[in-house]
Amino acid sequence: MTSPTFAAISAVLIEQFHLEAGAVGPQVALDQLGLDSLALMEFVFAVEDRLGVRIPEDRLDPRQAGVTLEQFALLLDEAIVAKASGNVVSG
Amino acid sequence: MSSAASSRVGAPVTVTGVGVVSPIGNDLAAFDDALFAGRSAVRARTLDLPGVELPAVPVATAELDATAVIGPSRVPLDRGTAMALVAADNAAAHAGLVAGSFDAERLGVFWGSGMAGATTFETTCRALYAEHRRMRPTSVVTAMPNAPVAEIALRFGARGAALAYACACASSAVAIGEAMRAIRAGWIDVAIAGGSESLLTPGVLASWQAMRVLTPLAAGAEREASAQRACRPFAADRAGFALGEAAAAFILESIDHARARGATPRFDLAGYATNCDGVHITQPDAAGQARAMRAALHDAGLSADAIGYLNAHGTATTAGDAAEAESIASVFGANGVAVSSTKAIHGHLLGAGGAVELLAASRALAVGRLPPTANVERADPAFALDLVTGSARASAGLDAVMSNSFAFGGTNAVLIATRPRR
Repeated sequence: MTSPTFAAISAVLIEQFHLEAGAVGPQVALDQLGLDSLALMEFVFAVEDRLGVRIPEDRLDPRQAGVTLEQFALLLDEAIVAKASGNVVSG
Repeated sequence: MSSAASSRVGAPVTVTGVGVVSPIGNDLAAFDDALFAGRSAVRARTLDLPGVELPAVPVATAELDATAVIGPSRVPLDRGTAMALVAADNAAAHAGLVAGSFDAERLGVFWGSGMAGATTFETTCRALYAEHRRMRPTSVVTAMPNAPVAEIALRFGARGAALAYACACASSAVAIGEAMRAIRAGWIDVAIAGGSESLLTPGVLASWQAMRVLTPLAAGAEREASAQRACRPFAADRAGFALGEAAAAFILESIDHARARGATPRFDLAGYATNCDGVHITQPDAAGQARAMRAALHDAGLSADAIGYLNAHGTATTAGDAAEAESIASVFGANGVAVSSTKAIHGHLLGAGGAVELLAASRALAVGRLPPTANVERADPAFALDLVTGSARASAGLDAVMSNSFAFGGTNAVLIATRPRR
């Protein structure tokens, strides 16, 4: 997965959370990143702020087991599209 | 490894490692170099406050990329907490304090900071109010006053104690002293003690400027030169201080514990006292300061003439230096002890001041030289002080030193360090 959205996710994990690049892949689940629930929320906020969008809370609970980075990227892409069509107020 | 006979009240506690992040250096070689040369790290800073016109202020900044420091909690670190972790890591490395060399249940962390989290609090509030961005989920745990002590405790797995002290400019001196007491009492064997402060934010700097305690700077081409000599402790023309940021950490151990693990004693903490003026929220009280110095001497079992050097609180304010000159003379007699204030070169480090200045005093012990009070062309003739000015003074027989920390709110703290006597 090489989308700009996934690149933003990778950059936040590597730059802000100091993960090794090799530990960041599309099929890696959020709960496998070695981050506790608070740090996970911080990670989601950081990516959303970087991309200028917000995922509605009912679409994502980052503490839910098994949510992958690829799924997170797709949710972000949906939010980007929604923002572009004027449906959502960005954060 | 439990405490033994040496850990009684009145016994010295030994220091086996030190670490520092400061405007005058992040290792002992750089620190000593600037300290004994009296080289000021104070510079002019303009305030980034849109819509508010304020003059530039003198500040002393530490060189550290805080964003590269990884904390054990993995949450973002306040700049002050990042500095604290680096200082604690370096102190532990200096002491050889590695896993297996101590009992985690008998390791405590004692940390002082006046406004820990100031940078995070201001940055996040600015994002909320000025930029209309939401707060981050980690804002609370990054900005909380005990964030530095919590991150250090996590790093080393400390299970004995994790205590944060906030008593303004005496915070880290109190933290170190209370760690010493905990070891003496036998509650713990080892402590990581010290303090950190990083509050060089526009809002905090403007607050101190409003109090009119920061030295006003010259305009134009003279501005930078006036910043470097902004702080002139005990000088006739003193006009206030510069704010600085720093962290300093010490590994304190009972003598038996240090001996059992083969650690090298760097110096001993022989005496400590804290009290309160109980007089005024900001005005210093010479009587309260003198009581604290005498109590620390009593605690160390030393007479005043045993002290060969005193690192004064020496803020370079009109009232502060006058009160301290009076209290020092009342305890030591007129010109009775060699005195300097190193705030002239590293700025007022607030909650980290006591720790960094204890380090400065301990370096005098280590090398047998007394650091000068920089920037003083003429000492205030009203003071009966043996003020070290100009260049460092040789002091070959130096055996015991004192460090004063006097805080807004009236808290006084005095620490006495000696050469290891074993």
